[in-house]
Amino acid sequence: MKHLFLALTAALTIFTTLPAQGAAPVKIGFINSITGKEAQIGENLTNGATMAIDDLKARNIDVEMIREDDGGDPKNALAAYEKLVTRDRVIGVVGPYTSACANVVASRADQYQVPLLVPAAAKEEITMKGYRNVFRLNAPADVYSNVLLKSIAPFRPGTIAYIYAANDFGVSTVKTAQVNASTMGLKEVANEKYQQGQPDYRATLAKVKAAQPDLVFLVSYDADAILLMRQAKEIGLTPKAFLGAGAGYTTAQFAQLQDISSMVISATQWTDDVNWPGAADFGVRYRARFGKDPSYHAACAYEAVRIMALSALKARDSKVLRSALTAGSWNGIMGPVRFASYGGYTNQNNHPMLVQQLQAGRYETVYPAQFSKKKLIYPYRR
Amino acid sequence: MTKQWTGIATFAALAASVPFFLGDNPYIADILITMLMMAALASAWNIVGGYAGQFSFGHAAYFGAGAYTTSILLTASSIALPLCIGAGILAASLIALLTGAIVFRLRGHYFALASIAVAEIVRLTAHNLEITGGAQGLLITDITFGNLDLNSKEPFYFAMLFLLVTTLAISLLVRHSRAGYFLLAIREDQDAAASLGINLYLWKNMALVISAALASVAGSIYAVYIRFIDTSAVLSLRLSIEIILTTIIGGVGTLWGPVLGAALLVSLAEALRSNLAGELLVNSGIITEASPIESFLKNNLAHAHVLVYGIITVLCILNLPKGILGLFRRKQRT
Amino acid sequence: MLFFQSLISGILTGGIYALAAMGMSLVFGVMNISNFAHGDLMMLGMYMAYYLFTLLNIDPFLSLVLIMPAAFVFGYAIEKTMINRVIGHPSENQILLTVGLGLIMGNTALLAFTSDPKILTTSYSSSSFNLPGDISVSIPMLLSFLVTCLLTAVLYLFLSTTRTGMALRATSQNREAAQLMGIDVSRMSAIAFGIGTLLAASAGALIAQTYYIDPFAGHTFLLKSFTICVLGGLGSVIGAGVGGIVIGVVEAMSAAYLSSEWKDVVVFVLFLAILLLRPRGLFGRKGEQ
Repeated sequence: MKHLFLALTAALTIFTTLPAQGAAPVKIGFINSITGKEAQIGENLTNGATMAIDDLKARNIDVEMIREDDGGDPKNALAAYEKLVTRDRVIGVVGPYTSACANVVASRADQYQVPLLVPAAAKEEITMKGYRNVFRLNAPADVYSNVLLKSIAPFRPGTIAYIYAANDFGVSTVKTAQVNASTMGLKEVANEKYQQGQPDYRATLAKVKAAQPDLVFLVSYDADAILLMRQAKEIGLTPKAFLGAGAGYTTAQFAQLQDISSMVISATQWTDDVNWPGAADFGVRYRARFGKDPSYHAACAYEAVRIMALSALKARDSKVLRSALTAGSWNGIMGPVRFASYGGYTNQNNHPMLVQQLQAGRYETVYPAQFSKKKLIYPYRR
Repeated sequence: MTKQWTGIATFAALAASVPFFLGDNPYIADILITMLMMAALASAWNIVGGYAGQFSFGHAAYFGAGAYTTSILLTASSIALPLCIGAGILAASLIALLTGAIVFRLRGHYFALASIAVAEIVRLTAHNLEITGGAQGLLITDITFGNLDLNSKEPFYFAMLFLLVTTLAISLLVRHSRAGYFLLAIREDQDAAASLGINLYLWKNMALVISAALASVAGSIYAVYIRFIDTSAVLSLRLSIEIILTTIIGGVGTLWGPVLGAALLVSLAEALRSNLAGELLVNSGIITEASPIESFLKNNLAHAHVLVYGIITVLCILNLPKGILGLFRRKQRT
Repeated sequence: MLFFQSLISGILTGGIYALAAMGMSLVFGVMNISNFAHGDLMMLGMYMAYYLFTLLNIDPFLSLVLIMPAAFVFGYAIEKTMINRVIGHPSENQILLTVGLGLIMGNTALLAFTSDPKILTTSYSSSSFNLPGDISVSIPMLLSFLVTCLLTAVLYLFLSTTRTGMALRATSQNREAAQLMGIDVSRMSAIAFGIGTLLAASAGALIAQTYYIDPFAGHTFLLKSFTICVLGGLGSVIGAGVGGIVIGVVEAMSAAYLSSEWKDVVVFVLFLAILLLRPRGLFGRKGEQ
């Protein structure tokens, strides 16, 4: 018993005897999945956020950013937010990455009155609950399927098959895709939800092939996308178009494997060939610094941290910061940003998503027309 | 035994007074709630794992059963919270009985693997069904219970504390009852216990159902506290393993081992996760803010905290096989 | 067509499962330890194959010659320094030790290689040929399957004809009796763990060619390997071989005729059914232990 209390006291002291450092520069928080199963994408966000802070430093703008890892666990995300807000006294928080974590933290933001800027989580409901202190930069899940199907609608495809990961993003995206597809008059001929990380999808793909769809709509993270497309080629699954939602179809690695990736159409929040200010330059500097292509997550995190840092610097107080975010507008690598209320959303940036197609090993923006230099090629041929 | 009842009472009184000293400090309250929860889960596991020696590797299933039942009932109906928690207990007990029917025919590694398989079936089922929110999880909003402020930490602190104290009391009762001696006999030698006329099946199932019911209450409180659940948060193998690890590091088969384990592991995990460990080094003057060690810690500890956790696990298992309480007590398994 | 396509894919994938499970089964038989770090050992094999290919341009099939001895030494060393200290301890301590070792390996890899998935692309990665009836067979998968068969045969010969192999089998059957017969059981444990690691790493290197590589990529195969070991009989190497192919085919058939999302449930239900109906598995000798 005695030892137990000693240990408990010791444990408690670690957390209580560490007062946060005195008032130095303005502090913001950044919650991200640095470890855990979302760490792959989390790393892109970390890189983007780091670049944003360093870019500001280079302009002699000093904002302290405190990083917190949530490991993809909503409980940790909540602990991180409460630590940032009550112990570190940050005045605004960027993050978390995953929808599950963002959902939990968003539900507490009004309680603590410290603005939360969600950079890349897709679940619609995060900004649909009317929270005054929750802002989102990226377009939510329904926009992915919406732009993809809109871009292909002029070609009048007849049937569609879905192959998607059994995760939050996969399920949400396909649900909205089904609604959009039925208004377009597309007939659903196959619906295959798969558990991630399987080595072999050939049986699933053979089943889809037998249904002979015009469109195959895929939602997958990084590596699954390559596996699926590689095996689709082996099996001889050749629809008129592959539509890819999700990070897996927008990576440089995927683009390099031209024999399986050519002509795949995908939706993305960002590319470096759009005419948004600094987008191309960001791509160049990111490649130079991290030795790989930036994903849209990196761009989202960069812009979210930049907006939060600049606004926080002026506001110096959470309540002022909230008004600044609600009223402000920005124009950076993610294009024009404004947090507005529309269609059931509150403080949601109505971000125009882009549709790109892999042509000759390069991602070319093909939709919407005002951002694109190339035309969408349909039907698919190799 | 009287000494141990006094111990539980002292612990309850001291822990109940903590919020009054703490004041408004939601971050520390959150860590304490997690500690109490892990302590309750580990103590509940200890009833079947420690006293009866049946090492279930699937306790997340019972935690998740409570969390899901409560969340589904709360979002879909106007059933009062205590009834939802009761339904969670029922669901977890049913899963426990079903699990028991399958896994208690097996021993050793087979038992461990079978308990994982059952828990994985529960997880995948929740992941694939519509009613559980599937992969999207369940978000609970606008819950009320009497006039409690469910945005504050106190209700959850006291709920978890109440659960922990109840679990400790039940552990002590079980341990010193006829059932407790049967369980110990089963742990030491199943065949000998059977030859003495002890109904292995009955007593093992009893221990598992009690353990599962308590774990489900923790799950229900967790769901109302966090207000969002999905399969990776409440049904994962990682959670099952954390529960066992907590017990083993504290001291398996002892009353206070699970509590000690939870206090240490939860604070360690949080100190590493949030880089308070690095800050502690700076504040205590061991290293300076500008030193390369601190900048390394700042940039990499978040990456490395699970690694450190792994190293500590290995060191503990190799050097303290009987847990930390084993250091202090020669005869801990009496 | 769907049936035969699923059958062929299932058998080829099952071959890799089998190789991974054989190592686990051998370790289980000789040491009576459930190795939860097995998936992480596979991951090490994947990275070795990847870097040997990208940095030194060694074909992944050839690199097995380098990976196998390295993995053996690594496994032998882990056993000598850590695992042997928990032999005879309660099984949950053993399991947690291997869980801890797995955490260390996976997160060290995370620091060293980052979490970016790596794709090992050889000139024949996406190549395939068609059997009559439009059934596609992946060439790297087929080659991997043949290598697996070869390794299984070598392992079988080693266990049944060499002195060390026979000593391993004796230890596996009855550790105490083997010790009384003058077999150095502690050395046998280290050798078994070395071979187990070698097989895990080989399975990793083979699957790396058609799969992806990240610090936790081996975890997919961990629970599958356990299922396969139980199906084949814990400790039976041949059982693991057959079990792997059975599980591969069951998965493919469930995906084709039931649904992709439920196929893992089918595998676990099958696993429990075997535990209840035939706890010693298809080829096991001991019953419940």
